[in-house]
Amino acid sequence: MLNKVQQLGRSTISSLERLGRGHLFFLQLLTALPTVLLRFPLLTQQLFSIGVLSFLIIFVSGLFVGMVLGLQGYNTLIDFGAEESLGVMVALSLVRELGPVVTALLFAGRAGSALTAEIGLMKATEQLSGMEMMAVDPIKRIVAPRFWAGVISMPLLAAIFSAIGVIGGYIVGVGLLGIDAGAFWSQMQPRVDLGEDILNGVIKSIVFGVVVSWIAVYEGYDATPTSEGVSRATTRTVVHSALAVLGLDFMLTALMFGE
Amino acid sequence: MGMSNSTAPLIEIRGLTFYRGDRAIFDNVDLDVARGKVTVIMGPSGTGKTTLLRLIGGQLRPDAGTICIDGQEVTTLSRRALYQLRKRMGMLFQSGALLTDITVHENVAFPLREHTKLSESMIRNLVLMKLEAVGLRGARDLMPSELSGGMARRVAMARAIALDPMMIMYDEPFTGQDPISMGVLVSLIRKLNDAMGLTSIVVSHDVAEATAIADHIYLISDGKVVEHGSPEQLKQSASPWVAQFLNGEPDGPVPFHFAAGNYLDDLLTEKRDVK
Amino acid sequence: MQKRTLEIWVGLFVVAGMVALFFLSMKVSSLNKFSVDEGYVVEARFENVGGLKVRSPVSVSGVKVGRVDAIRYDMENYEARVTLLIDNKYNAFPEDTSASIFTSGLLGEQYVSLEPGGSDDFLKDGDEIRLVQSAVILEQLIGQFLFSKADE
Repeated sequence: MLNKVQQLGRSTISSLERLGRGHLFFLQLLTALPTVLLRFPLLTQQLFSIGVLSFLIIFVSGLFVGMVLGLQGYNTLIDFGAEESLGVMVALSLVRELGPVVTALLFAGRAGSALTAEIGLMKATEQLSGMEMMAVDPIKRIVAPRFWAGVISMPLLAAIFSAIGVIGGYIVGVGLLGIDAGAFWSQMQPRVDLGEDILNGVIKSIVFGVVVSWIAVYEGYDATPTSEGVSRATTRTVVHSALAVLGLDFMLTALMFGE
Repeated sequence: MGMSNSTAPLIEIRGLTFYRGDRAIFDNVDLDVARGKVTVIMGPSGTGKTTLLRLIGGQLRPDAGTICIDGQEVTTLSRRALYQLRKRMGMLFQSGALLTDITVHENVAFPLREHTKLSESMIRNLVLMKLEAVGLRGARDLMPSELSGGMARRVAMARAIALDPMMIMYDEPFTGQDPISMGVLVSLIRKLNDAMGLTSIVVSHDVAEATAIADHIYLISDGKVVEHGSPEQLKQSASPWVAQFLNGEPDGPVPFHFAAGNYLDDLLTEKRDVK
Repeated sequence: MQKRTLEIWVGLFVVAGMVALFFLSMKVSSLNKFSVDEGYVVEARFENVGGLKVRSPVSVSGVKVGRVDAIRYDMENYEARVTLLIDNKYNAFPEDTSASIFTSGLLGEQYVSLEPGGSDDFLKDGDEIRLVQSAVILEQLIGQFLFSKADE
């Protein structure tokens, strides 16, 4: 019985320690920003492997999500004779919620897991240690450029997702189901607010970008340096990112749209 | 380098104590590394030889004791000063620890690009010089994944000497090498040490190779220095433990059997504790 | 990969992101149409504002000229006090303009509709519209209808 209590205590302490280390690590990432900006080629390299290589999956997913929204929305709205409002429905769902959230989930799966695996493997093969011994700070040289590239890529990807999604909704609504193109846009425009809807969506995507990139690089850097440890860390990145994104989404939505 | 006395040891370790959990990896260890010499640290697997290199490199902090390198106390250095000191140290990891996403040439150029503002042609010349020294100038455009283990270690050596350090540390350089590349590594460590005026620390448990290149050997076991001296002195050591280790005898002061109860009792007992 | 191609790809990626943001703010949102940031304020008191909300549109003859800036309850007169923010472009509404709360379509959102009067003086910042018509509450309407039927 006492052993169980001790076990509980130990695991609580160790997870608190981990949380603390994670936050110190976050501070280091933030303070590394000037170094990252000074060494722009490193950032460009990471923007490519994180942003550009995620583009395709974001583009295709955005298109299909938009098309499904168009189809489902039409079937619901037509019962109320309000199918002209399809544009508003598609745009608001994407810009406020689905754009940032789905992009963040895909981003965690595509780029986040790759980041964790890459950094974890560098740790397992002593590349990070080796760098330290060459008097090169691996956080500034390896981790921070990846983190910041993730933070920059995420809002861009979310914007692309939403924009392509609206076009997907347009293709289905106007192209296939015969809603008037003028009505589609004119109903949408007055009811989608730049500050309230679009800016809040962008803020959400930035927050998700920070959180997912942070989790990904930290899991990699903190991974047990064995192949098993790295694979576990990769799984943790995807699971923790998904939970964090959905939880934060609720909180942000309550703050932004809760009145 | 520096103003310090050139006859004093480059590294002086006094009273070094380091715990991992409750286990003492080092218990009040004193150790000197002489300038310009090859010092070999030997001991059974799991005695924390690699940990010793990390302590010297300042990647780990000891629980007690001092580590003085060329007049600087590593354990109390600020991060910035530690990084300055590390520029004058080379370290060769067991795996080579080459950066896997860039070529051999770029790997050797890495410390130069990070720490100097040399022109591209200067860097190229320096890299070719260092690669020539380890005999791998022809492999400069290969990726690390295309190298054999021995070649990877030689590239890592070229990288370790890129900044012309005062000392170089080798972590198990002979493990898992075929006899030829083992021979190459042995002669390279000696040659680089003498030609570049380096001080070398080699951590190893390969007795033959280690005794072949060592000027001075430290034998470490159970967190303590068991014996030290030149290879000849060690061979004449009276300690049965030293004799067992150097000759690789299966049984002796280090028993063949892991501590266990009476064999017969064990055999006769029912497996009570297995449900 | 060549440094140049890599940089070109990254450049294209950033441009794509920017175009998407531009598309969202220009085509999906109403940035190009109308956004009242500067304008003049007039007030109107209604018995009942129904489902009117802050940011609901204010229109004249179906053209959007402003939005609802604030809705408060006035404890002195027991009425709702609605502040309308009207674009400076439309600064010549007669003083006796009337305001009504309408619903766009059966289920659509509610908006304030202005009906210009005939006065020679114009509404100024801080003025109050006196002629108002409250929101039509569906339940009241049905109730009245039932009563009138019962009277017959």
